[in-house]
Amino acid sequence: MTHHRDIGAAPPDEYVEAEIQRLLVEDPAVAEQGITVIRRERALVLYGEVESPHRREEILRLVSERFPDVPITSDIGVIRTQAPTEIEQLP
Amino acid sequence: MVIRIAAVGDVHLDEDVVGRFRPALEELPECADVLLLAGDLTRHGTEAEARCVAEEFGGLAVPVVTVLGNHDHQCDQVPQVVKVLEDAGITVLEGNGVVLDCAGGRLGIAGVKGFGGGFAGRCASDFGEPEMKAFVRTTTDSADRLGAALRSLDCDMLVALTHYSPVPDTLAGEPLEIYPFLGSYQLGQAIDSAPTALAVHGHAHAGTERGTTPGGVRVRNVAHPVIKQAYSVFHVGDQLDTDQVSPIGQSGSQRSWS
Repeated sequence: MTHHRDIGAAPPDEYVEAEIQRLLVEDPAVAEQGITVIRRERALVLYGEVESPHRREEILRLVSERFPDVPITSDIGVIRTQAPTEIEQLP
Repeated sequence: MVIRIAAVGDVHLDEDVVGRFRPALEELPECADVLLLAGDLTRHGTEAEARCVAEEFGGLAVPVVTVLGNHDHQCDQVPQVVKVLEDAGITVLEGNGVVLDCAGGRLGIAGVKGFGGGFAGRCASDFGEPEMKAFVRTTTDSADRLGAALRSLDCDMLVALTHYSPVPDTLAGEPLEIYPFLGSYQLGQAIDSAPTALAVHGHAHAGTERGTTPGGVRVRNVAHPVIKQAYSVFHVGDQLDTDQVSPIGQSGSQRSWS
């Protein structure tokens, strides 16, 4: 017996992943190219680094608004801005 | 002769970031002769965001030299962005160069934003549809202008400043599939056409710090997410020793890598 795909089901994960990736770059509220979207068994994982805690919140807000049914795990850091403690010598 | 170069790229400023870099930037005169910004100063390239950059990186005690990045082009306000930066005393390079008198000698910096295209054997070609040819010609033109600017500078030490990468080495960590959007070998070729001492770029947030061109020029990816500090400092010169490193301040750069 042939099993037919239920075309009313949620879009395949790969398209969701692509859409989130583009959303994060193209939505003016975010404009982040450095966030990686990884599909895991139980959730989509977002990781990368941003310049402020506000931007991390915006990313999560945007993705959960657009995909309310997709479980999202976030591991996005805020990049440190301390003065360097070492130099590199280039003779 | 030693020239001290601080550099960072991809700081993506907007109102929410203003003030985060400033404490570290105030230490610059103790550890660097110049600060290079490797593009993507803003999120969307608006005049308002450029004012944030001017506030954060303007009025420093060392000269600041920058190129723009792809984000700085997003809102098609490049002339306004450049004007705001220049009014704040920041030198914006695009196909030209500047020579600065530093304690260690005359530092020449040539800069372009650059563009994608890919690297030897795995790159786009000037062939086919008009869109494809326009893509590759944008890269070639940018690289040609970088090479000409580098060769035109009369200085003791030459540095190339780009946003896009001139080599694949510093992209390690990025997906291979997107290398053609992160840089092009033509930029490396331009850097190798002059006696360049150091090439600095950004753009590749998941890349790595160090690489070299096929001609042996040191390349450093200073994208903020890569260096994970306010800026990196490079001491470039032919005679380095601990005496030259020691004057650096207490809270800033202290030890050499060696």
